[in-house]
Amino acid sequence: MSNQPHILVIDDEHQILRALRTILAARQFRVSTAATGEEGLALAAAGQPDAIILDLSLPDMDGVSVCQLLREWTATPIIVLSVRDGEQDKVQALDAGADDYLTKPFGIDELLARIRVALRHAAAQAQVDKKTVVTAGPLVIDLAQHFVRRAGEEVKLTATEFKLLAYLAANAGRVLTHQTILSHVWDPADADHVEYLRVFVRQLRKKLEDDPEQPRFLLNEPGIGYRFLVDE
Amino acid sequence: MRHIWTFLANEKRVLPYLLSIVSTAIVTAGLLAIRERMEIATVALLYLLPVGASAAVGGLGPGILAALAAFFSLNYFFLPPYGTLLVHQSQDILVLLMFLVLAVSISQLVGRMTTSLATARAREHETTRLYELSLTLSKLHREPDLLTQLAQHTLETFQANQVEVFTESENQPGLIRMPETGEVETNLPTQPTALASLQGRQHLLGEIRLWRSGRPFSPAEERLLRTYASQGVLALERIRLAASERAARVLEESDRIKSALLSSVSHELRTPLATIKAAVTSLRSEDVAWEAEARRDLLAAVEEETDHLNQLVGNLLNMSRIEAGALQLKRRWNVLAEIAAPAAKRARLAGQGHRIELDIPEELPLVYVDDVLMEQVFNNLLSNSLKYSPPSSVIKITARPQDEATVWVQVDNQGPAVSESDLEKIFDKFHRVTAADQITGTGLGLSICKGIVAAHQGRIWAENLAGGFAIRFTLPVQVEGVAPRIPSE
Repeated sequence: MSNQPHILVIDDEHQILRALRTILAARQFRVSTAATGEEGLALAAAGQPDAIILDLSLPDMDGVSVCQLLREWTATPIIVLSVRDGEQDKVQALDAGADDYLTKPFGIDELLARIRVALRHAAAQAQVDKKTVVTAGPLVIDLAQHFVRRAGEEVKLTATEFKLLAYLAANAGRVLTHQTILSHVWDPADADHVEYLRVFVRQLRKKLEDDPEQPRFLLNEPGIGYRFLVDE
Repeated sequence: MRHIWTFLANEKRVLPYLLSIVSTAIVTAGLLAIRERMEIATVALLYLLPVGASAAVGGLGPGILAALAAFFSLNYFFLPPYGTLLVHQSQDILVLLMFLVLAVSISQLVGRMTTSLATARAREHETTRLYELSLTLSKLHREPDLLTQLAQHTLETFQANQVEVFTESENQPGLIRMPETGEVETNLPTQPTALASLQGRQHLLGEIRLWRSGRPFSPAEERLLRTYASQGVLALERIRLAASERAARVLEESDRIKSALLSSVSHELRTPLATIKAAVTSLRSEDVAWEAEARRDLLAAVEEETDHLNQLVGNLLNMSRIEAGALQLKRRWNVLAEIAAPAAKRARLAGQGHRIELDIPEELPLVYVDDVLMEQVFNNLLSNSLKYSPPSSVIKITARPQDEATVWVQVDNQGPAVSESDLEKIFDKFHRVTAADQITGTGLGLSICKGIVAAHQGRIWAENLAGGFAIRFTLPVQVEGVAPRIPSE
């Protein structure tokens, strides 16, 4: 076993597989590729990859079901690839356990950034019991002690604001769908009330971000949900 | 005693018979008091009064009853010997017989008149109800509305306990029940009281089922119900025909669009492809050793053109969806600034030193839109502004509340004015104000914006400003008259 991170790419387009294999190998990743869902699941079990890049349209099975099957036994980060306008598919995949998504066509810097976030997130998840403090730039969020500091100063948050921030921060790097956040922070019955999120995220940004209009930490994913990003 | 009154009140049909007996009795009592001074002919004449009145009020049956009652009273009380049904004088027998014939014929005549008047009234009522029904149905354009109205009218006209209108169509069977659930009577029998099939020209469309307890269904009502059903069928077939005609027209239109698109788009697709191909083949060729800067330029061109192609494909997709009426909005409450900001950021990168300014007040209400499609509107408007306005000029996005239910949004630039006659046309597909060879584009951007804004029940229009040009549109901030409610904590 080398200590190069191992990436499994599941996509039925050979040109994409070829390009990703070359590009990722050049960036010191170990890459294996699968062209069908079946093959991908087998390789995931055999190769124990550190991250999986999964295309949603596969010839033999639905990408969302691949996601579900993987989540039955592994917490390996999954980054979903899909074409534009597939918001519904992306939401389904994220709800089925995917960590992140990328829209085709994508820039390679974007993909590499997502892979790095996913790997770091996985590492953080591994020691989740110990980790109750999330740090992002000037922000320190103590999940256990219920306080937030910004550049050393305590930020006063309401109970709901803190609950929302804590949930996003505990899942830093992951894209969380509106429904998931609403069900966790409010109530499953409120899963459709995206307006709650809009208002509370805006309040949080005003308290936490340098420029609430150009947020660094609380990122909007149009049509899908939100992501709390810990700066590199 | 009390339940006799209840019985009378309930059984309206008994009342006229009772009235005929009572009225004859009153006349008898009145005449008895002055029996000695009256001629038998006068008495007989006066007895015709209750007969005529009963026939007029109650119809034939009560009339005949009054005639018989009067006949016997006349005989018993007024023809000697009094107090018996015997008659002594032959002249009296004649009077009596004449009276009976006269009374019966009067009651028949008046009774028939009354009955036909009642029938005419009932017919008039039927015609009015039928007219109301056909008038209501003719105004409707949606099948569920039609079925609901049909059920509602049937329920009211027949004073039924429950009405069901059941329809079968290719898509799905439908069942409308009146009164609507919640007040459904559970103790109704499974078999409906009356039933009328909705028989279309080609096949059975469904049926009307009616439950009514108490009164039985008369043949006239059966007939009326069938007429209701045929009115329903007419309206139903009209709506379905209109729907299939609309579908056919959309298909035809989308065919026309497709061919127009293909010719316009193939050029637009090939231009970036040509650049990409040229750049990549150059970089791959081994005859030239490219300088680092030249390589960067070529590669930047490839990247820009790829983005351009991607945007083009996105626009084409949305266009075809708008055209096919298949644009599916995932409307949610959104912060407008959050939608506009990424588009503005993208435009800053793509522009030639253009300044993109956002003027969206913090307190602007949430807008009820599909954020992904709305971002496309901003992308298209900004990309148009970048194309038509001079480098380093200012492009501004402004949003303000218009009234309680709407906000307006404006994207303006310092580009050239558009002639008044073109202000409307720029939203048409493939319409280009500037010659096509000067500025690239498919002429789809604004028509997509129009399609998306219209799908949000908004309005979009263009205006020339002093020293610039603006596109404005409106967006809803209320759903069914209500703004979103946010829990305070």
